[in-house]
Amino acid sequence: MKIIKDKVAKLSFVALLMSLTAAMFYTPTASAHGEKSQAAFMRMRTIHWFDLNWSKDSVAVNDTMTISGKFHVFAGWPETVDKPEVSFLNIGIPGPVFIRAGSWIGGQLVPRSVTLELGETYEFKVLLKARRPGDWHVHTMMNVQGGGPIIGPGKWVTVTGSMGTFVNNITTLTGETINLETYNLSNIYFWHAFWYALGLAWLAFWIKRPLFVPRHIAISSGKADTLISATDKKVGLGFAVATMAIVAASMGTTNEKYPVTTPLQAGLLRGMKPIEMPEATVSVKVDDASYRVPGRAMQMTLTVTNNGDSAIRLGEFNTAGVRFLDPAVLQDETAYPDDLLAEEGLTVNDNSPLAPGETRTIEVTASDAAWEVYRLADLIYDPDSRFAGLLFFFDAEGNRQMVMVDAPLIPSFI
Amino acid sequence: MSASQSAVRSRAEAVQASRTFDWMILFVVFTAILGGYHIHYMLTGGDWDFWTDWKDRRLWVTVAPIVAITFPAAAQACLWYRYRLPFGAVVSVLALMLGEWINRYMNFWGWTYFPVNFCFPSNLIPGAIVLDVVLMLSSSVTLTAVVGGLGFGLLFYPGNWPIIAPLHVPVEYNGMMMTLADLQGYHYVRTGTPEYIRMVEKGTLRTFGKDVAPVSAFFSGFVSIIIYFLWHFFGKWFSKTDFIADDAS
Repeated sequence: MKIIKDKVAKLSFVALLMSLTAAMFYTPTASAHGEKSQAAFMRMRTIHWFDLNWSKDSVAVNDTMTISGKFHVFAGWPETVDKPEVSFLNIGIPGPVFIRAGSWIGGQLVPRSVTLELGETYEFKVLLKARRPGDWHVHTMMNVQGGGPIIGPGKWVTVTGSMGTFVNNITTLTGETINLETYNLSNIYFWHAFWYALGLAWLAFWIKRPLFVPRHIAISSGKADTLISATDKKVGLGFAVATMAIVAASMGTTNEKYPVTTPLQAGLLRGMKPIEMPEATVSVKVDDASYRVPGRAMQMTLTVTNNGDSAIRLGEFNTAGVRFLDPAVLQDETAYPDDLLAEEGLTVNDNSPLAPGETRTIEVTASDAAWEVYRLADLIYDPDSRFAGLLFFFDAEGNRQMVMVDAPLIPSFI
Repeated sequence: MSASQSAVRSRAEAVQASRTFDWMILFVVFTAILGGYHIHYMLTGGDWDFWTDWKDRRLWVTVAPIVAITFPAAAQACLWYRYRLPFGAVVSVLALMLGEWINRYMNFWGWTYFPVNFCFPSNLIPGAIVLDVVLMLSSSVTLTAVVGGLGFGLLFYPGNWPIIAPLHVPVEYNGMMMTLADLQGYHYVRTGTPEYIRMVEKGTLRTFGKDVAPVSAFFSGFVSIIIYFLWHFFGKWFSKTDFIADDAS
């Protein structure tokens, strides 16, 4: 019996080792950014990205592409997330597979953090230069201090070519043109090798002689003072003086070589210019909203009043970057990512044109697998079970009006 | 052979065994410090050491020496009082920098493709040499802490300036002025490191104008003195042999 037990234990141990070894060799590429794991209310009630455009699906190394569009900073920002007083327009990519050649909010370059105002809508653009070949999921992204990353919609972009050909030429204010990809490398290697060699020399000076056992015996027998000789002290002093002299001399020559240097630049950029949005002539009141778990559908009862001078129809509901469209009113022509687009996902019980001055109560259903795939259905497990999103109404000429909705959401499990 | 018999039969064999023992201990000490010190430094110095756009005149200069003097102080305590060997600081820093270079080259560049000129480690060797020499010459923990610790803080910035100065050359970029290091931070996207996390050029040392680095270095040196004492006693405690029954020293 004991032999069998021992064998089982041995085989189990071998199996464990094999599993661990196999796990080490299994290293798939991490292509996405956990966007589906982020709490649904974070994506639905903070930053609403819309009118997004990825300028290219495929781009060669050294070529550029842009992501542009707008984002609305939700006025009903959740209490559990810090307000976007210090925010950074980032880009969600797996490391520097692109370089961020530029990023703008409202036409202003934003290499630093910015302050955003609740309830405002901003235009943005990010210019990317391809660096590393592969298929990359490129997301819009806003980092908020105290709130974390708020990731927006992502689209697959293919980078072709070879990273070895990538160049990042920059002209400095001193008139020198450098390739930032390799600039200063030889200087870094030289100084690190130099100081490492000096450190090794100090170490070699001591380890060439017997070390631990005889010295410990000498100290134990009260002969500690004999272990450091006068020569040792002279050599040590030489090392210290040489070190300080080299530091001083190298600093002096560096200052001569680079007479113009500036400190790192930091600071918050305030006063971002929002888009002047026209006053909406449509008013929407959410009478109730529920999410039917088995049907993966959200149903809203809305009372819509048209205060404008042309008839309108509801064409789109956009939440957390997922777009639910009524194809009779709106069809996507922007090549929006398929997984985030429910082309026939919006149904309205009566979507006939709402005449000027008319008020109508409508039943709106936004249904698609995206509720599950993007884990938006998890909203029902959030601490503040409310939903929010953008409704887009269109008139016969295609003029669009954006209305924000925000209301409690009641789950239905049957 | 019984446990009470010697493992060697001649003086030559004893010398050879002692030397083999030296190399084994050195290897173990070097790799153990490499691991422990590296983790400690990544957790405490972290981004200040990782990225050029964190290597500023105020906080990098202040933080890096304070958190870096720890293991050198502890290693000195052990190697000096047990063996009168004054290379505890240098061996610690050499181990740390080897580990850092492996990490930066294999991981930062090899796996995630951040250019090495953006993520190279800080140079700590000048301060470590001075720390060891002061201990050897003075044989005093107090003098080593005060003179060596202060020197460790003071030598840090000038010891790194020849390496980072080229990256502090200014550039005009889309209508804004920034250094090349700032531009590296902007260009080479760190999805998990938004700009506001960067702790640079913060503080109240405005009356010193542009000459703030020496003030920061002095402050760093003063705090390094205190940290030296603390970690020196950690090192002494860690190298106790009370657990060996025959040696209660």
